[in-house]
Amino acid sequence: MIGRLFCCHENLDFETGNGTMAISQQHNEAMASQSEQFHETRIIDVVGLGKVFDQNGQSLTVMERVNFHAYEGEFVSIIGPSGCGKSTLLNIIAGLDDQTEGSLKLRGEEASDRLGTVGYMQQKDLLLPWRSVLDNAIFGLELQGVSKREARDRASVLMEQFGLEGFESEYPSALSGGMRQRVAFLRTVLADQQMFLLDEPFGALDALNRSQIHEWLLGLWERLNKTIVMVTHDVDEAIFLSDRVYVMSARPGTMRLVTNVDLPRPRYLEMVTSEGFVELKTELLSAIRRESAS
Amino acid sequence: MSIVNRPGVRESYAFPNWLRTLITVGLRWLPAVLIVVAVVGFWEAYVRIFDVQKWLLPAPSVIAKTIGVDAGLLWGHTLATIEEIVVGFALALVCGFALATAIGLSRTIERALYPFIIASQTIPIIVIAPMLLIWVGYGLAPKVIVVALICFFPIVVNMVDGLKSVDSDVVSLMRTLGANRWAIFLKLQVPTSLPYLFSGLRIAIAFSVIGAVIGEWVGSSEGLGYLMIRSKPQFLTERVFAAIVILSALGVSLFAMVGIVERFALPWWHKEHGSRT
Repeated sequence: MIGRLFCCHENLDFETGNGTMAISQQHNEAMASQSEQFHETRIIDVVGLGKVFDQNGQSLTVMERVNFHAYEGEFVSIIGPSGCGKSTLLNIIAGLDDQTEGSLKLRGEEASDRLGTVGYMQQKDLLLPWRSVLDNAIFGLELQGVSKREARDRASVLMEQFGLEGFESEYPSALSGGMRQRVAFLRTVLADQQMFLLDEPFGALDALNRSQIHEWLLGLWERLNKTIVMVTHDVDEAIFLSDRVYVMSARPGTMRLVTNVDLPRPRYLEMVTSEGFVELKTELLSAIRRESAS
Repeated sequence: MSIVNRPGVRESYAFPNWLRTLITVGLRWLPAVLIVVAVVGFWEAYVRIFDVQKWLLPAPSVIAKTIGVDAGLLWGHTLATIEEIVVGFALALVCGFALATAIGLSRTIERALYPFIIASQTIPIIVIAPMLLIWVGYGLAPKVIVVALICFFPIVVNMVDGLKSVDSDVVSLMRTLGANRWAIFLKLQVPTSLPYLFSGLRIAIAFSVIGAVIGEWVGSSEGLGYLMIRSKPQFLTERVFAAIVILSALGVSLFAMVGIVERFALPWWHKEHGSRT
């Protein structure tokens, strides 16, 4: 809140001239440190982001004027119809792809060289079949240059929390879908990057497994204090997990609606039938329906 | 109440465990054994009924007897052939692995070399083999080269296919985890390609036996191929067949050995896909 109020304040100062600017800058620094205390740093700030693909000489606009941000430690979800460029947006944030217009700032700085600094978990668990559960979990650490022994030590401590105790030396093929997904989570968490992107991470799980892993993920997220940006097509999932939900429109994709989720934390499964939850769900569903119809 | 349904309880008093294992293994190989028995039986009967001359078509019993009588002679030549196969196969493996790695790492190298690798397979080995004799001499070398020439093709082609068959999503994942090109090659491409490499090795080891025989036919003083080409004009047809039987047994054993090595090298593959041998 403080950060956002201050933005307006700064604009006013700018108009009044140089004298106030200096004061304003001092003020700015004070406010910045204060806002960090309140965890109000924008860890990611996307402004006017667009992506145009060149297909056989024809240009295809997948995404345009996307504005989106997440504060430190927030859980933010993006929902939208298929083909709205959700995955393209995540690819760009992760640094696998570049935007064709707009700016993307990580911790307030233009991040052109961000590949490898943002954790990205895809729908498929992408475990390597020749590596044991433990060695799959440490894959990220290993690629970052941490010695195998130290990486294994760090992973072993977390095995119980991730419900993988006793399965360390199994191959992934022996595991259930939910367990495989937790190994992929552990791999992402261990790599300890500045934020996590999740691309429909529970899409392959059945409903029962899903609601269990939702509660588990929330518990984990609260302990980790990490920023999570999740793409999903499941409205319940988005509301249940998030602090803020964005709705994207169909191609060319852009943000159509943003709403804060004011449900109290910690959250429990029973909340999905509460009044606030249902109200929010109705609002979001009708917004999505409008998008799919147009 | 449900004791009967528990596995291992009901069967345990019927047969001892070792006998059950023996029966299951026996049943698995029964079709192969039946075919051998049928073919050998028919062959033996045909030769006896029509009184076919030994030099024209020896009966299986005669071949078996020859193997017993000439055991020492056959063993010496078998060892010579095995040496050519092992050295040639090892050479093909080293060269094939290196070549496949180079092709896997660089599109330029692939475009430059791949046509020639394919072209190399269209050259009839039977024509090249006598030339090798002139080029590299009379000893072990020309046979090893023939074996290697035959073996390296399936090794390279399979391994290159394997190096290319990586999941692009895993490549993306690795890049977001900070991996460079070299890490992607070593930690993803190479392990992915190993089951493909082993498929290539199975084909290669089966071909290697033919390669050794061709090498020996063109010019040699030992080996099973040499023994065959010497025995034929002497009308020792039963000895030719004895050599063929040993060559077949050699091929099957080598093939099985590749399978065993694979089982130890890729335990994860076998847990996922079950046994292939």
